[in-house]
Amino acid sequence: MLERVKIENLSKGNILAFGEFYKNELNNSSLEILSPLKEVAQALNKKLILLFLIGSLEDIKNLEEIKRSIADEVWFVINNELKDFKDDLYTEVLIQIVKSSQPYGLFFPATKIGMSLTPRVAGALKVGLCAHVNYLEVKDNQIVMSRPTYGENIIAKLVSKSSPVMATISLGAFNIKYGEKEPLMKEIIFPENFSWSSKLKIRNFIPSKKKPTKLSTAKVVVSGGRGLKNKETFQKLFELAEILGAEVGATRPVCYEGWVEEEKMIGVSGVTVKPKVYIGFGISGALQHTVGMENSEFIIAVNTDKEAPLVKMANLALIGDAKKILELLLKKLKN
Amino acid sequence: MEKIIVCIKGVPEPGSVKVDPKTHTLKRESMELILNPNDRSALEMAVRLKNEYNMEIVAISMGPPNVIPLLKHAYALGIDQMVLLSDRAFAGSDTLATSYVLAEAIKKLSPFSLILMGLKSIDGETAQVPSETASLLGIPSLTNVKSLFMEDNKWIAIREIKYGEEEVEVEGPLVCSVLPTAFDYIRPPSLKRLLEVKNKEPMVWQASDLNLDSQRLGLNGSPTQVVEVIEKKIETKGVILEGEPEELVEKLIEVLKEKRLIKN
Repeated sequence: MLERVKIENLSKGNILAFGEFYKNELNNSSLEILSPLKEVAQALNKKLILLFLIGSLEDIKNLEEIKRSIADEVWFVINNELKDFKDDLYTEVLIQIVKSSQPYGLFFPATKIGMSLTPRVAGALKVGLCAHVNYLEVKDNQIVMSRPTYGENIIAKLVSKSSPVMATISLGAFNIKYGEKEPLMKEIIFPENFSWSSKLKIRNFIPSKKKPTKLSTAKVVVSGGRGLKNKETFQKLFELAEILGAEVGATRPVCYEGWVEEEKMIGVSGVTVKPKVYIGFGISGALQHTVGMENSEFIIAVNTDKEAPLVKMANLALIGDAKKILELLLKKLKN
Repeated sequence: MEKIIVCIKGVPEPGSVKVDPKTHTLKRESMELILNPNDRSALEMAVRLKNEYNMEIVAISMGPPNVIPLLKHAYALGIDQMVLLSDRAFAGSDTLATSYVLAEAIKKLSPFSLILMGLKSIDGETAQVPSETASLLGIPSLTNVKSLFMEDNKWIAIREIKYGEEEVEVEGPLVCSVLPTAFDYIRPPSLKRLLEVKNKEPMVWQASDLNLDSQRLGLNGSPTQVVEVIEKKIETKGVILEGEPEELVEKLIEVLKEKRLIKN
């Protein structure tokens, strides 16, 4: 059973990580972000708390998974009104917790729900918020967060002058680690007069018909960039993926051109991949993309530019027209 | 007439990006700016709602004067009023400072029923401003909205989340960020309105027009700060092959076989 703690008696100065549940299903990204946060918490000598807002404990399918997490404590707020994700109510609940427990840091996975919720919380608290952080460290007793900047091939290291330190953390950027000791589990008791009301009413839910993308766990990734020239050629990557048992990935410009849906985007604002083999066709390798694939075991680049960053990073680089080479490769493989 | 406010952003034309070497923020004033591609669906949604419910649309943009052509483009698409939020004091604002300026400008445009924005800009890519602005205004927000209509004076939105789609009923006013793929068809600017807007200029509001707290503006008013930048040095580590496509493909097939991705 959970230890019940009144909100005003919560311990203070911790690092809080938001745990995402949807329809009683744990989103694994919430466990990923604990890995860097645990190190940060230890360096600052603070406790790491995994925080869940849920409708009821009985419905949760992944409780065992949570018990194995590396969090020091797991806090639950349980109320039937939290069954659905309601941006405004979730914000209000988090603000109450921040006010009472004055955390040092408050972090969220950069999921769609995380990215809807976090800016509301930051706005209400009037504190700074870093997006899509993919590296965290402690320097001079301060959390320093990294992310690539736009327009330059550089990594910016950011701090927040306000408290708590808040950020969303890139999906797939960290591996899940499990702990040896079961975290303390607590239920946070809100005051009687707290209003659980929301201006949102979730009337209906239609589960996605699309198969969820397996990109982040793929063993082989074939990825395409602008060097493939057009949408039609990009589509051929799916044929190659079929043959190689691979998943298709893409760069940001290609997604924005509409050649492929954004779920396929590899990089800081997309998915991080760590396949055994990564093949990039017509990708020059902007930092935005390469931070999402640099830990691939074997990188193959196909590009016209010998000086392109991805060509330099690659274990094998083929200098040539990506479109021609892709088409020729497919022709040979199909024979 | 009920009012829809659309917030749009000028982003650098790919290839014309200029970055301030000191602050690592974009030098928007000296770049060729284009309409953030994701804002197109927000404008399209606004125009469709205007036609359906007989509403009025105000487009606002925060940025240097070179975003004026983008506001005029929005006019040609069917918006009714243009507002430019422009002040040197705004330069270098992070999402909190930006949302503060937008929220105060939106208050000045009250009453309104709906605020629409693109899902995210293609430069900053944080996707934070819609929800952050709503939070500062104290009104609800929804992100990744693909369709929106009214029923008994309430907004009904379809929003996309990882797991599927939700139909959400909301008491307005509210802020929605619109899914870039919400519409199969996005209208082009009307020729008539393009001619009409030639003689129109946007209203321009500066910090003083909005009674803004200067402590909350620009680079200095932004709580997130860049403390260090590191350049990633990439050293050539592998084999670089040049040659005829035929030879290169042979090599590639050889490697794919080695890696057991295809059969011998």
